[in-house]
Amino acid sequence: MAATSTINGTKSAEERMQDRAPEMELIRQAQGGSRAAFDALVRQYDQQVLRLALHLTGSEHDAEDIYQEAFLKAYRYLGNFRFECSFYTWIYRIVTNLCLDQMRRRKTRREDHAVVLDRSGDEIDLLASVSDERAFSNPAKELDRKHLGEKIQCALEKLTPRERMVFELKHYQGLRLRTIGEMLNTTEETAKNTLFRATKKLRAQLAELR
Amino acid sequence: MNCDLVHERLLTAAYGELQDDLVHELERHMADCPNCQAEQAQVQALKLLADAYPVIEPEPNLVARSRMRLEEALDALPPLRWYERMMRRAGNSLARLQAMPVAASLLVLMGAGVGALGGFRIAEHSAALSGSQTARNAAAPQAQPEANGAAPAEVANISSVVRQPNSGIVEVRYNHVVPEKIQGSVEDPAIRRLLMLASENSDSEGVRDDSVGLLAAECRAGHGCQATGIRDALMAALLYDRNVGVRRKALEGLEPYVTQDVQVRDAVLEALMNDPDPRIRTAAVSLLQPLEADTSVREVLYSVANSDRNPHIRTVSRQVLSEVPEIQ
Repeated sequence: MAATSTINGTKSAEERMQDRAPEMELIRQAQGGSRAAFDALVRQYDQQVLRLALHLTGSEHDAEDIYQEAFLKAYRYLGNFRFECSFYTWIYRIVTNLCLDQMRRRKTRREDHAVVLDRSGDEIDLLASVSDERAFSNPAKELDRKHLGEKIQCALEKLTPRERMVFELKHYQGLRLRTIGEMLNTTEETAKNTLFRATKKLRAQLAELR
Repeated sequence: MNCDLVHERLLTAAYGELQDDLVHELERHMADCPNCQAEQAQVQALKLLADAYPVIEPEPNLVARSRMRLEEALDALPPLRWYERMMRRAGNSLARLQAMPVAASLLVLMGAGVGALGGFRIAEHSAALSGSQTARNAAAPQAQPEANGAAPAEVANISSVVRQPNSGIVEVRYNHVVPEKIQGSVEDPAIRRLLMLASENSDSEGVRDDSVGLLAAECRAGHGCQATGIRDALMAALLYDRNVGVRRKALEGLEPYVTQDVQVRDAVLEALMNDPDPRIRTAAVSLLQPLEADTSVREVLYSVANSDRNPHIRTVSRQVLSEVPEIQ
């Protein structure tokens, strides 16, 4: 068993190295001024960037602005990228900083938390886009799914921007605490403590639902 | 293990980030602690609740619109001029080398400074001697030139020749070099300073080889190389000495510092990429093996694994890279 996992680990390391080779080459070309290489890098990450920004801000318009600003910054400062971390971590660091700024600026609350606004100002129901076959635990069954989602979003928005970001990156984006620490320029331990604080607050906010 | 600590660990365990040994410890505690069992249920319930506010994939329209807007913004940016591109490239190259060339340049400047100061002092001393001798010679016109005296010094150069008016006396100013010998322990700072000078400046490969060998042995023995500048002298020898034997000894001397000292690591990486001798490059790979998880080391190893002209070095680099642990 141990031997198998070692072999698997070695294989995946080699595969990962091979996977990253074209990306490193793209980055070098983009650093040399190749617009095509930069466009290819954008295509590789732009959906993830939009997904994160959309979920954090709850607004298509804000998500679009963050997307635009993040990639323009990346284009401008790509020359400073030193391959000390993965490009994924680097671009996410830019995006998380922009989202944090945006969340700090906009502390106003919306009336309806389960909707996001599209570019034209029309509302999109986030919860309506989820499949009805999702499994929920007993407490969730007591409430309508949409109402539950609103409560969750409301509780999330009461966290500090940093707590919200750590919870978002851990719970929704599934990143490791070490990576979250790197993205937020802090340690893994601090990221863990922030996550712990965020969950405590969320539990207090959502106590009535359980 | 107290319950507060368990509560923290329950959260990391719920997200699959608790180490295996701590998981067993946690399970043992959980078996007998109803309070912590309740906490675990709460954590799980929160995870389920949070999933009720889902992450949605961005609409294709939104993606397309964002891309188009970005492209327009990028098109509107003025293109980089040739010198801006050159500066970017130069900036990247400089940053890669980090502080190594700066340290080497400082070392060279320091050496030049010490040499110039030493030369000035010698010249000053000999000028004073020559001045007093000239005065004596003036008092006794039949005196012999000082160079014929008993001093074993050699004449280095003549700085001035002045014929004194209305007399048959000529004043010659010259400098001389006095050969000296010093003996002492390798740990003696004066000996070390001379060894460092010899490692950089000596025309004789044998002298450089001996001095670098002695300095390297000092470093390997852990006799405080970092503070005394020996480490810098070894890095300079590794990167710039023409003799492969000298470079090999310098590399061996740097071995104890490669894991701790970023400048040493950069120098070894530089040698791995650029040293013309495959033996040095091979030795550099094995020195860097314990650091394969370092990003700069991985990058250089990756580059060497793909482009080194020596197949053995390519294979060795690949082997080292294959042992890199899983990284997200």
